[in-house]
Amino acid sequence: MLHVDLTSGSCRRKAIPAELLHAYLGGRGLGVRFMRDYFRLDPFHPEMPLILAVGPLCGTTSPTSARLSAVSRSPLTGTIYDCSAGGRFAWRLKSAGLDLVFITGQSRDPVVLAINEAEAQLLPARPLWGKGIKETVCSLQERGSVAAIGPAGENGVLFANIMMGEGNSIGRGGLGAVMGAKGLKAVVVNGSGVTEIADRERFEAARGDVMRLFRASPVIFGELGIAEYGTPALVDLMAQRRMAPTNNFSSTFFEKSGNYSGPAIRSECRAKKDGCYGCPIQCKKSSSQGEPLPEYETVNHFGALNGISDLHAIVRANTLCNELGMDTISAAATLSAFGEARGLFPSAEEVPCLLADMAYRRGTGELLSLGSRRATEQLGKPELSMSVKSLELPAYDPRGAYGMALAYVTSNRGGCHLRAYPISHEILRKPVPTDRFSFSGKARLIKIAEDVNAAVDSLVACKFAFFGASLEEYGELVSAVTGLDYTPEALKAIGERIYLSERFYNCENGFSAADDRLPERFFSEPGSSGEGIEVLPIERDRFDEELQKYYRIRGLTREGTFADPDFLQRQP
Amino acid sequence: MRDQIAKYTAKLTADRSALADGIAFAAQDDTLLAAGDPVLAALAADILGRLNSLALLIARPALPFAALLLARAPGTDSCLVPQDTETRTFLHDIPFLRREELAKDPAAQISRLLANRKGVIVEGVGVVALGTITVEQAFINYSSVFHSTFVKYLQDVLQSGFRLPGEREAFESFRNLWLQAPSAAGLEFRESLSEEREEILYEVEKVGRYTVERGLVDSFFGNISVRAGGLIYISQTAASLDDLKGCIDPVPNDNSSTTGITASSELLAHRKIFEASGARVILHGHPKFAVVMSMLCESGDCPVKDCWKDCPQVRHLGGTPVVAGEIGAGGLAKRVSPVIAATGSAIVYGHGVFTIGRQGFGEAFAAMVEVENFCREEYFRRLDRLQGP
Repeated sequence: MLHVDLTSGSCRRKAIPAELLHAYLGGRGLGVRFMRDYFRLDPFHPEMPLILAVGPLCGTTSPTSARLSAVSRSPLTGTIYDCSAGGRFAWRLKSAGLDLVFITGQSRDPVVLAINEAEAQLLPARPLWGKGIKETVCSLQERGSVAAIGPAGENGVLFANIMMGEGNSIGRGGLGAVMGAKGLKAVVVNGSGVTEIADRERFEAARGDVMRLFRASPVIFGELGIAEYGTPALVDLMAQRRMAPTNNFSSTFFEKSGNYSGPAIRSECRAKKDGCYGCPIQCKKSSSQGEPLPEYETVNHFGALNGISDLHAIVRANTLCNELGMDTISAAATLSAFGEARGLFPSAEEVPCLLADMAYRRGTGELLSLGSRRATEQLGKPELSMSVKSLELPAYDPRGAYGMALAYVTSNRGGCHLRAYPISHEILRKPVPTDRFSFSGKARLIKIAEDVNAAVDSLVACKFAFFGASLEEYGELVSAVTGLDYTPEALKAIGERIYLSERFYNCENGFSAADDRLPERFFSEPGSSGEGIEVLPIERDRFDEELQKYYRIRGLTREGTFADPDFLQRQP
Repeated sequence: MRDQIAKYTAKLTADRSALADGIAFAAQDDTLLAAGDPVLAALAADILGRLNSLALLIARPALPFAALLLARAPGTDSCLVPQDTETRTFLHDIPFLRREELAKDPAAQISRLLANRKGVIVEGVGVVALGTITVEQAFINYSSVFHSTFVKYLQDVLQSGFRLPGEREAFESFRNLWLQAPSAAGLEFRESLSEEREEILYEVEKVGRYTVERGLVDSFFGNISVRAGGLIYISQTAASLDDLKGCIDPVPNDNSSTTGITASSELLAHRKIFEASGARVILHGHPKFAVVMSMLCESGDCPVKDCWKDCPQVRHLGGTPVVAGEIGAGGLAKRVSPVIAATGSAIVYGHGVFTIGRQGFGEAFAAMVEVENFCREEYFRRLDRLQGP
């Protein structure tokens, strides 16, 4: 690992204890472990670490595994926070001989951290400060792969991203603002090392199994799947299932969603396949000019959530957020909450100006840069923030998928769909379908999925791989690479350790059952019924009952906290 | 979860894959419950309590094939590796435990193997299958093991005969008492389907049930579709063919909507078959004897190693073409579509059978029955020739 102290300007390589690699794998897990002595610090405290970590499969041809995790404490949610992104950065970091970069301190002047196999150095970056992502990446890319912040990160927008040079983003929780507070404009990395594989034959067999399952999955390689249309393939499906959040979640169906569906984007933007390095799925889509096109969450939230049906306006909003280094889900959801609060959702023409104001924290943007929870509180209408633990909800209305409703509140990073990802079985029928309008069994199911996904995030693989493959095949891959045996059950145990460590950090920082709450709207207002589908308000008693079951399964108290104050001491 | 356990216990009995008095489920939410045969239920609970999963099924198979495969395996082996598509794609292999390996703590030994695989054969106990997230998943995994061991045992017997005392008698019992020739007798099909949505959905749901009831699929897998105007109505991925209500996707021919992202993984194959044949309906099942016979190749010295995907030949079984090709986007679609129009049916190596109907499902169903009956008769003809009277 590389320890960078931005205050003193020192960069030191040191070894990661093997038992920690074995117990936490890499990525999210290893990052969470390295946060153990720092999780109580304010996210903007100079000593708060920003951790970049790869997983044990990085640098191999394991499908979807060249991903980078970033871990710190979120200024938006106050929770422990991690996010992963594709691009070449992770692969090059591994090639430079590093599994993890631990960045602390605060530079007096803006700097760029440049890493290669031989050295790491801090370069002056004053001329880059204030620049957008494209210009920053352009000026650094001859040194290697770039991870950078834009004006939003520099200005402390609470949902600022770290943007990868290829257009991927480490989003949602505002780690771009943490990076900005440290005076770190970018990290650029290059390397040429090769990742050793302990058992090549076993590796190739496991890789073959994964690819066979990808080909058997309609969601991945089906002719209507994400390899063809990207995640906007979900637009039509969510409309048909009557669970596309619309007008700040006041309804769940938007008549004009077909304007920004997967086929519409392909046709209108002449979308071509693109994607993360080393990924066979290539679910990202870009325009004929190479501009990254919006994902499902983004088209829904700049679309239905704000009542906008103009695809090109949505694409422009996405491009602008990327350039400013700002999360599209939180930005669009904050605009929507603001729109409902003032009685008028932003028009397509108004959005670019509001986004720029957010990033530069000027005018109304100063309020909006705080995210929907703080903004609506200041406007005197806190009930209009459609968030959990201050993280704006993504584009799956919880009234249309009860596992998703539960998973939003149990997520350790706030209202996120990816921690347990019940959409996989409640909507996409993978690995097997479950009844989306039932809570039966969901508490246990969400717990299991959280453990699985914590392991996946620590490998670090892409969640979409698990629309086809499972930990059975990825366990084989990591066993073949490392030479240590990891069964799916062992990986789930690691995932459980990671999840509980995160929950413990959050509880120590004051989080409890009182924060595991959905916005009131979902319990009191119905969604948009139609096509034989009735979308009712969620039954609160049943929801609370299932949440209490979840706490019992997790071994937590009725308040969702830990009875054992020494929990962490018992972990490796 | 008790209703789910009752539902799948009934299914195991109805499809005659498990002995009615040898079934037990365990499932856990915030508490762990077990139901069924008391001894097996206690073991199921003990195993599941050690695993981070939701459900577990232990059942004694109605046929002794899994146990016989275990007994026939060399002492150094620890798993079976059937060559059918289901195993290769989803199970990979099927580990087993011999009686002497169970030692003092069978649950510990079984859970150790289930930590890595979906199903395990345990000598003297039966098949133990895991449902990571649902009770249904445990049933599916049991059914997959039952199907895979059925196919492998029949292959092995045809290749190397009976080896164990009592094996021939057990096989004859299966042949004479358990086995039922599929038939379309007594089933009703609409002769010529209209393009009316409700009529199509009704017919698809009904024919899906028929396919399961007449034993033409393993567990409930397979898929079924109807072409109507600019749409293909097709069963969803992971849909139970005997329970298709609400699980049929209308997919536009021009892909103007992606609602069908949840459609069967064989959507591409169905589309290409429709294009090539002009058929109105397609039925796809996994009848066991067709799967067994499709893997019987007599070409001798052949350079192709991965026959299931790379074999370029079109072989024939009773006039029905047999082609290679992996499921989903793996190549099956482009191999089946050129050969099916002429015969109305096609077999995919190690996988299953596609049949078509030009007006309705009667023709497709009859064709599938005919293919399976031919393969069954051909199997026993060859076996009898090898074994003698």
